[in-house]
Amino acid sequence: MTAAREIVTDQREQFAFHDDIAYLAETKRGLTRATVEEISAFKNEPDWMLQYRLRAYEHFLKRPLPTWTDGLDRINFDNIVYYRKPSEREEKSWDDVPDQIKATFERLGIPEAERKFLAGVGAQYDSEVVYHSVKEELSKLGVVFMGTDQALIEYPDLFRKHFGTVVPAEDNKFSALNAAVWSGGSFVYVPKGVEVPLPLQAYFRINGENTGQFERTLIVVDEGAKVHYIEGCTAPIYATESLHVAVVEVVALPGSKVRYTTIQNWSNDVYNLVTKRAHAYENSTVEWIDANTGSRKTVKFPAIYLRGEGATADIISVAVAGKGQHQDTGAKAVHLAPNTRSRIVSKSVSKDGGRATYRGQLKVSPGATNVVASVRCDALMMDDISRSDTYPYIDIQEDDTSMTHEATVGKVSADQVFYLMSRGLTENEATNLIVQGFLEVFTKELPMEYAIEFNRLVKLEMEGSLG
Amino acid sequence: MTDAPASRIRPARRSPSDLTFEFDAASLDQLTDGEPAWLSADRRAAYERFVALPIETNQLYTTYVDLRTAVLDDVVPWSGSREIGLLPHGAAGPDPGTAGLAAFQDDHVETLALATAVSAAGVTLETLGGFIVDDAAEALVARPGSMPEDDRLAQLTRAGWSHGVILRIPAGVKVDQPIVIRWAVGTPDRALITRTIVELGDGAEATILEELVPSGQEVDGRPSLFTGTMEVTLGADAKLAVSSLQELPTTVVAFQHRTAVIGEGATLHWALAQLGSRLVRSRVDNRLEGDRSSVEQVEIVFGGADQVFDLTSYTRHLGRDTTGNLLSKGALMDKARSYMKGMIVIDRSAVGTDSFLGEFGMNLAKSTRSVAIPSLEIDQPDCRRAAHASSVGPIDETQLFYLESRGIPPDDARKFIVMGFLEPVVARVPVADAQVRLRVLLEDKWQVGSGTGGVAAA
Repeated sequence: MTAAREIVTDQREQFAFHDDIAYLAETKRGLTRATVEEISAFKNEPDWMLQYRLRAYEHFLKRPLPTWTDGLDRINFDNIVYYRKPSEREEKSWDDVPDQIKATFERLGIPEAERKFLAGVGAQYDSEVVYHSVKEELSKLGVVFMGTDQALIEYPDLFRKHFGTVVPAEDNKFSALNAAVWSGGSFVYVPKGVEVPLPLQAYFRINGENTGQFERTLIVVDEGAKVHYIEGCTAPIYATESLHVAVVEVVALPGSKVRYTTIQNWSNDVYNLVTKRAHAYENSTVEWIDANTGSRKTVKFPAIYLRGEGATADIISVAVAGKGQHQDTGAKAVHLAPNTRSRIVSKSVSKDGGRATYRGQLKVSPGATNVVASVRCDALMMDDISRSDTYPYIDIQEDDTSMTHEATVGKVSADQVFYLMSRGLTENEATNLIVQGFLEVFTKELPMEYAIEFNRLVKLEMEGSLG
Repeated sequence: MTDAPASRIRPARRSPSDLTFEFDAASLDQLTDGEPAWLSADRRAAYERFVALPIETNQLYTTYVDLRTAVLDDVVPWSGSREIGLLPHGAAGPDPGTAGLAAFQDDHVETLALATAVSAAGVTLETLGGFIVDDAAEALVARPGSMPEDDRLAQLTRAGWSHGVILRIPAGVKVDQPIVIRWAVGTPDRALITRTIVELGDGAEATILEELVPSGQEVDGRPSLFTGTMEVTLGADAKLAVSSLQELPTTVVAFQHRTAVIGEGATLHWALAQLGSRLVRSRVDNRLEGDRSSVEQVEIVFGGADQVFDLTSYTRHLGRDTTGNLLSKGALMDKARSYMKGMIVIDRSAVGTDSFLGEFGMNLAKSTRSVAIPSLEIDQPDCRRAAHASSVGPIDETQLFYLESRGIPPDDARKFIVMGFLEPVVARVPVADAQVRLRVLLEDKWQVGSGTGGVAAA
């Protein structure tokens, strides 16, 4: 580790691409109409956005908490700070980071500098530099990749045309909350026919807002364009608030191809409630690759609405639920146009009393002829104090759909463990290998460095040595 | 809307979960008058639950409730006509090839008969109205959990039943021939609210054929309601096979609740065919309590016109090494809809479970709708198998091609494939005559429906 990698608190101001907006320090705890107005005013937003936020706020108040999943009533909405100036968040010291999380970084082999960023106590120096060169290359292609707040100011028309079209504020209670108080997140626009040569990583865009609690991501991929977006990280993200409510909207215009990869590893006190949805137009392809290992409770069902003829949806969803965790995850594919196809693969592991729930919806609407769809969900239970649930919804309203669904639940087979042990592995190593094999359908879709980190993460989870 | 008679009264706009059938405290008082106190108390407790419960308590299924075609505003229960006392064995006796018959014609008992040998072995077949004075009645009729406590319609039945039948097979008695329980329903504006209780002692064996048939009183466009149960308790190593043939008139709305408590080493087989009714809401609750107990359940739906089949199946594994094999199949024509909702729960105590849940749909026309929700909740991973599968698809082109290549005309080939799809239940009907009748019914329905190539029903 060279001296150049030392952390300097809040160096970000020196970099040109940092959001050039005046922020207030932070709002008071709790959510009122004034909080929403305050957030909007300090961001200098156009009036339509303020009105949008206020409408969403009213809807949030009216909408009851969902009761189909449990534990959400433990969230104390009055004890949350809904907006914080990014630099304020950085002012915590490394000493404040819980030892457990520090130890995890150590075990995952996260470089010193990255650790501090991941813990939310500093900006990472190197990646800023990397990002600079990435940014130049992208702008040559005409690709827009910036903070969502910044995009609202710099690309007002493009932004307004698509914002809230995929996930309306009224969609659910938490999309309404996000619409009322959103801040940060990424905005991506890929122009017609452009293929982005490398994955866009939210990771590079270091401006504090990135790991915001109420981020809003909007990705518009124009006709024939292609992009792979990656968010999240294998290391646990140390959150300042125990509530993370994000909305992700993807617009895949005709002939485009979008892949969105997430590795969610919030610390184990976070309620992670995310609405992710894509609209797939004619002959486009949308892929959600989604893994959830962290958080206390995650409620997230990446969805694809197949709106145009010939569109394809591919969802791979992975969940690992350890002690005290409930991963309520799954996928949705809604077929609205003829000749569309979808594939959902879900893999879950539950252990040490954790609960993994697969909840999925597959819908074929009238008029969506010649649909081919498949759903496969497998669950692995490591012990008998854990729990695994499967709730698939299949709703077919056409007469020529071809749909198959399969699910199995099981444990690590003693035969497999025995075989591996006879080859010289310890029982622990054997179990790890089997679990990694079980999750391989997901891992093999990741860029290599992520795959390595993810496997290491799973290994640690299995050993029960993760916080 | 070729199938809508001009005379049909358009119902007022209401929520899909609204129950239009009125059952109030006055109706309850009428029933409890002169009854044993324990029974009145049981009815009143059920009535309280009926009043308090929503129509669907399971959050997984609430969005799929649709009672809009159950227009029951003018339907009233048969009043003061509760059958009383044990009828003498019917002069007619059971049908040939059967061991017993309990036949109801709308509100009255037509036949109640057991073969002499079966009767001599200690088997009893009684009306529930007659049975309630028996010493054993309270334990069986007021058994907690005899009907799902969280189900509003089950509690309606428990509070408001006016007719019923109870079959008891003593330990060790094996009845070779089937016992038939027949409900003929159809009188307009009437609700026939019934219970059927079946108890098999240790090692007992029996076969039941339940027939739900038109009474001939039905009038087009004038609805009626039938609610029925089958409350089964199986002692250790008992064996019971139940076939049900539901061919009620399309004026009838049917609510059905079947429950089973399955003892150690006992085996239950359900084969349920759903053809008739305007709307069916059915629920089966299997509890595999005993070690090595098993349940096999096959349910078929053959829907046409604008029929709605709302079928829920719960199976709970509690004992060790239990087996559950559940299969639902639906073939739909015209604008028919089916909702196949299933839930398998494997408790922590249920080590070595083998459980499978399959839900398969065949949409034969464009305006049909198949919903399948095969769910699992698992607390014990040490199982032989815990899996579910579902599929929805049209008639398999390769099967069609194969049959056509053998010289079978396309229409016949399609019919054969659909009949084959439904065969698993047909083959289980224990009475030859009933099996033949079911095949004829299926074929007739196929001719009328649009399955033969998009021709709308007349």
